[in-house]
Amino acid sequence: MIKQLSQRLLGPVTLVLLALTFWLGLWVTPPDRVQGNLVRLLYVHPAIAWVALYVSFGTSVIASCLYLWKRTRSVVMDRVAYCAMEVSAVFLALTLITGSIWGRPTWGVWWAWDARLTSTAILLVFALGYLALRRANDDPEVRARRSAVFAIIAAINVPIDHFSVDWWHTLHQGATVFTENGNFLVHGSMLWTLFVSLFAFTLLFFWLLRARYRLEVQRDARYAASLDEALAQRRREGVH
Amino acid sequence: MPDTEDPLDLTPVAAPPTKRRGRWRTVGVLSVLVLAVLALLSQGLLHSLNYFETIDQAMSSRAKLGTETFRLEGVVKPHTIDRTSRGASFWMTGGNQEVFVNATGSPPQLFQANIPVVVEGHFTSATSDRFVATQILVKHTATYIAQHPNRVKAPNGTVR
Repeated sequence: MIKQLSQRLLGPVTLVLLALTFWLGLWVTPPDRVQGNLVRLLYVHPAIAWVALYVSFGTSVIASCLYLWKRTRSVVMDRVAYCAMEVSAVFLALTLITGSIWGRPTWGVWWAWDARLTSTAILLVFALGYLALRRANDDPEVRARRSAVFAIIAAINVPIDHFSVDWWHTLHQGATVFTENGNFLVHGSMLWTLFVSLFAFTLLFFWLLRARYRLEVQRDARYAASLDEALAQRRREGVH
Repeated sequence: MPDTEDPLDLTPVAAPPTKRRGRWRTVGVLSVLVLAVLALLSQGLLHSLNYFETIDQAMSSRAKLGTETFRLEGVVKPHTIDRTSRGASFWMTGGNQEVFVNATGSPPQLFQANIPVVVEGHFTSATSDRFVATQILVKHTATYIAQHPNRVKAPNGTVR
C-alpha cells in the first residue's frame, strides 16, 4: 500500500519540487554580490552534477557490486546498474553543458582543461563506454558481468573528480556544500534553495530510473514473447 | 495434422559464435575508450595537473620560467585597473608578492577589483615582475552572498 502510494506520488512530487526550485531560484532568491543573476545557475548545475556523479553513477556501481556478489546476483541488479548508468550519462552531459553555460560569462571561456572539467569529461566517456560495452555482448550473463566490472573500475574516477579541486589548482571553484571544515559558503535563502534543488533533482533521478527500469522489463518481456512466438511459428511450419 | 513422413527437425544445432564476436567487440570498445581518455588527458592533464601557478610559486621559480608561457593566478589589486582599447592592465597580488599584468583582449564581464583571476601569458624577462597576458579568466570563489545583505525595510514599506 505504502509502496504503491510512494510510486504513484513520486512523479507529481518531483514535478512540484522542480517547479518550487525554479520559482525560488528565479524569483525569490536574491542576486549574488559578485555574480549578480548568474548565481541562479547555482540551483541547476550543482544539483545536476550531484545526480550525475554521486546518485546515479553511485547507484550503478552499487548495483554492479551486488550483481557480482553471488548471494545478491540477479537480473534486477543488472537492470538497475544499466538504467542508472544511462541516466548518469545524460546527467553528466547536462553537467558539462550547464557548467559551460555558467563558465562563459563568469570565467570568460566555455571550457578549460583543468582537473575538474577533464575528469568529469572522462567520467562521461566512461559512462558512454559502459553503454557501448553492453551493446558489444549478446550473451546476457557475459554482458552483465563485464559491464559490472567496468562500472566498478570506472568508479575510481569519481573520488578523483570530487577531490580534484582540493588536490590541484583548478579554474573550477572549490567545494560549495561539502567543504573541508563543514561550513556552508552559501548564504540565507540561496542555501536552502540549493538544498531544495538537490532534493528535487535526486527525486527526478529516481523517477527516471523507475521509468527506465519499467521500460527495460517490458523490452525483456517483449523479447521473450517474440522468441516464444518465433519458436511456435517454427513448430507450426512443421504442421500441414 | 502432423506430417508423420517429414517430421520437424528439432536436432540441436551449433550455436553461432557469439562469444568470440562479443569478445572482439569488447576489445574494440575498450580500445576506443582508452584512446578517448588518452586524448582528453593529453589536452588537459598530462603536461600538468595544475591549471595555474600561484604568484608565490611563479616568483620563486621566475628564473626557471623565463619568458615561457604559463597561467598565473592572483587577486586583482583595487584601484589599479586601467582599461584600454586593447585590454586592461592592473596589479595582481598573491601571498606577499605583486605582479603587474598587461593583458590584451576583452576581460570577462565579472572582471573587477578584488576578484581572483587567472592570466595566461609570460614574464617580460627572467627577472621582471611584469607579465604580458593574452587572456584573463575570472576564478570566482565558492562563496555566495546576497547583493544587499544589509537592506532594511523603512516604516513606509520601501527597501533601503
